[in-house]
Amino acid sequence: MGGLTGVMGAKPVPGASATPSRWRTPAGRLSRGATLLLGLALVLLAMVWGAASGAYAIAPAQLPGIAWDGIRSLWGGDVQTGPEHLVFLNIRLPRLLMGVAAGAGLGLAGALMQGLFRNPLADPGLIGVSSGAALAAGITIVLGGMYLPWLPRHLGSWALVAMAFGGGLAVTAVVYVLGQVQGTTRIGLMLLAGIAINALAGAGLGFLSFVSTDEQLRNLQMWLLGSLGASRWSAVALVWAAVAVSAAAALALARPLNAIALGEAQANLLGVAVEKTKRRAVMVAALAVGAVTATTGIIGFIGLVAPHWVRLIAGPDHRVVLPGSALLGAALVVSADAVARTIVKPAELPLGVLTAFIGVPLFLAMLRQFRSKV
Amino acid sequence: MSAHQGLSCLECRHLGVGVAKGPRLATVDVRIPAGRFTAILGPNGAGKSTLMSMLVGERAPQSGQVLLDGQALSAHAVEGLARRRSVMPQDCSVAFDFTAQEVVELGRYPHRHQPGAGEAQIPAQAMELTGVDHLAQRSINTLSGGERARTHLARALAQIWQPPADGAARWLLLDEPTAALDLAHQHHAMRLLRQWAGQQGAGVVAVIHDLNLALRYADDVLVLGGDAGVHHGAVLDVLQPALVRQVWGMQCDPVRSSDGALQYIFVADTALPV
Amino acid sequence: MSTARISRRQGLQWLGASVAGTALPGLAQAASAAAAPGAKRLVSLSGALTEVVYLLNAQNLLVGTDTTSLFPEAAQKTAKVGYVRQLSAEGLLSLKPDAVIATSEAGPPVVLDQIRQAGVRVSLVAARHNWAEVQEKVKVVGRETGRMAEADQLLAQLEAQWSSVQAQVAKAQRKPRVLFVLSHSGSPQVAGKGTAANALIQYAGCVNAIDQFDGYKPLTAEAMASAAPEVIINTTQGIEALGGEAAFWKRPELALTPAFAKKALVTLEASHLLGFGPRLPSAVQALHMRALQWVA
Repeated sequence: MGGLTGVMGAKPVPGASATPSRWRTPAGRLSRGATLLLGLALVLLAMVWGAASGAYAIAPAQLPGIAWDGIRSLWGGDVQTGPEHLVFLNIRLPRLLMGVAAGAGLGLAGALMQGLFRNPLADPGLIGVSSGAALAAGITIVLGGMYLPWLPRHLGSWALVAMAFGGGLAVTAVVYVLGQVQGTTRIGLMLLAGIAINALAGAGLGFLSFVSTDEQLRNLQMWLLGSLGASRWSAVALVWAAVAVSAAAALALARPLNAIALGEAQANLLGVAVEKTKRRAVMVAALAVGAVTATTGIIGFIGLVAPHWVRLIAGPDHRVVLPGSALLGAALVVSADAVARTIVKPAELPLGVLTAFIGVPLFLAMLRQFRSKV
Repeated sequence: MSAHQGLSCLECRHLGVGVAKGPRLATVDVRIPAGRFTAILGPNGAGKSTLMSMLVGERAPQSGQVLLDGQALSAHAVEGLARRRSVMPQDCSVAFDFTAQEVVELGRYPHRHQPGAGEAQIPAQAMELTGVDHLAQRSINTLSGGERARTHLARALAQIWQPPADGAARWLLLDEPTAALDLAHQHHAMRLLRQWAGQQGAGVVAVIHDLNLALRYADDVLVLGGDAGVHHGAVLDVLQPALVRQVWGMQCDPVRSSDGALQYIFVADTALPV
Repeated sequence: MSTARISRRQGLQWLGASVAGTALPGLAQAASAAAAPGAKRLVSLSGALTEVVYLLNAQNLLVGTDTTSLFPEAAQKTAKVGYVRQLSAEGLLSLKPDAVIATSEAGPPVVLDQIRQAGVRVSLVAARHNWAEVQEKVKVVGRETGRMAEADQLLAQLEAQWSSVQAQVAKAQRKPRVLFVLSHSGSPQVAGKGTAANALIQYAGCVNAIDQFDGYKPLTAEAMASAAPEVIINTTQGIEALGGEAAFWKRPELALTPAFAKKALVTLEASHLLGFGPRLPSAVQALHMRALQWVA
């Protein structure tokens, strides 16, 4: 039972088989291990850069000492604290860690959405979680004072975060339910529902802008532009928890999503639990993006770009695209935030603006280099 | 042929073929045995693809049911079924730039928890069998239609490469596997299917258009003849020129090729309505 | 530098405290509560407060201001910490201030908390759009710059100005109907109740032609016509942005108003008009006199 290669005289395709090594796959892509190592290195580099930069001047040589003091202070002991300690440990470090979690969550959710919709243009916003969070934030900011006075009473400063998170999840649930037909999720239907609900949320935001006072309007606008400025340790812990749970749940979705690339019918015939996979992907993405957006506002572009980039380097296997997008997203957000904090110091640019400014040129540069593979 | 093949069969019991709320195209009552290559034939619109989608479990029957080994298809566990039955669709668009090798490796998904002996070589072997091994590292979306079809065929074969531990028969269902292939590859693929039925004992069911390919390679045929009714049986018994004229409206002259196979030469009949 | 000795028990207490969670345990320095002597380094986050700082001759203490602190001109050369509602904690701290003065607009609240924890005194003046607000602003600046005596003097001066202006306003024979227009792109927004502009209009002895809603809302041409303002108020920056007075009057919504006939427009520089700072008496007076001129 031989093949037809020699018989039919088919010529091997030139350049198709690069010598596989630990770093490269036979197809000439970067291997999974190499890609994840690269991603990790980028995250660490970004963190080092972020730790060393900021409006407040701290000599980089001091940083390890300050970090060690911070760790020591957690379980008692004499700690000499100076203003650098406060700035680094209470302001800069939580912000750095928030950036890692936020970027990881957004990158991961973007990769999940692209796998779910079988389309590289998909973005977590399609399922409505970002616009739902924005709408809930708008309601809290504009109507909260008058109609929801119990909110700050019970939740204090967490009112806005809790509402935004709840809003994101609620709107995603609506979009998901609208996409159900006889117990199955129709992705095409969900896409249309998402578009419609996003438009509705946008209209809601427009109306809120209309009835808002000047102050509320500006507060809402600034929230929408996205920022890591409100990163207190408790918020950092919560977002890390949400993103860690999402990442753990997403690992199991990698191979099913690979099979779904053949189409849902074929994936079903391969034994993939397609409905369960779709539901899980939506839930995980909503959890990650909801938690991040509730705390930081809208940071765009990461969920769209990071997976693309990983695919350009390492191919479309979700076992590398999912973790790779998380790592790359983290590196992007931390880097963008480092720039946002220093480029107009002592003021600060909104992060959402910067992620686009940084992301787009890098993405285009990548495209140019890998033009042939697209 | 091993002894247990006689037990495994794919049965259509009073199966009403047609789209939901659409007209009844045919009612099929047949038992398709494993270990034989059954070709499904019929003119356009007779319901071949609809029947295939019911055999695969993608579409609910208008009436009746499909049974595999005596058990309704819906009663079989999805994962267990995937380990012994593979389907090659008519066309399959692959999102993203997976390489041909990665696509064939996806065929091994049902076996991820119970890898077979020599698991790592199976995709390569399957690709060699269908003649696409030299395309392994190419992105599947850059391949020609025929190369893609052969890659998906390799994937379907890889999925059922090894017999299951309980010795149950394997099944391979294909919807127009030869549609995109060129002449030589058509015959090669059909030969392959016949060998899988005969030597591997798998039940092979394929929708094909070309009567001569069916005559040469299939063991049985299932003809969906529209008004002419449903006919099932050994290919030489069923596919007589009289039936061909009745179902396809074409006159044909039986001839023997130089290697002894019966083939039909078709005569354009201007008297019959087109 | 301060030494924070933390017992194990204290260290574990952070679990409760960090629901607010703004600091690692033991690394928060409580801001000194008692009234300290004046700050050596001051950040002002409001145009009006900045003006008072300059009037008290304390500008050498000023190390940073916000984007609305544009008067006097010297203030434009100080370090700008950005938009008052979206401050950067590290940015503010990098200026090493002892005290920050702001209105209740300043935010986000987490950033203010972080600054307080770093030992910076934060004083917020509530925006009430009345004379008491101006008085409080003067007092707060006096306290924070350690120039209480000069502040009292300034306050006395301003009170005198204010009384004389109020007397002048009280004597007026009539109250002109006016409308404050915020003219960006699209349909113009007008100031309803509860805005700084509305308060100013009341003080200047005029009547706000719009009293049906709060805040800034767009107005259609018909609504404009039925409001029937005799005089329109705008800021000089607003008129410039439109390309001059002539371009402003070309806007269709204004064509049906009584003000259109005479092109009755009063413009003042934005921070002068709406800042509710030490120039409030002169703003009220200017508005009062010019509005009366148009309706005379």
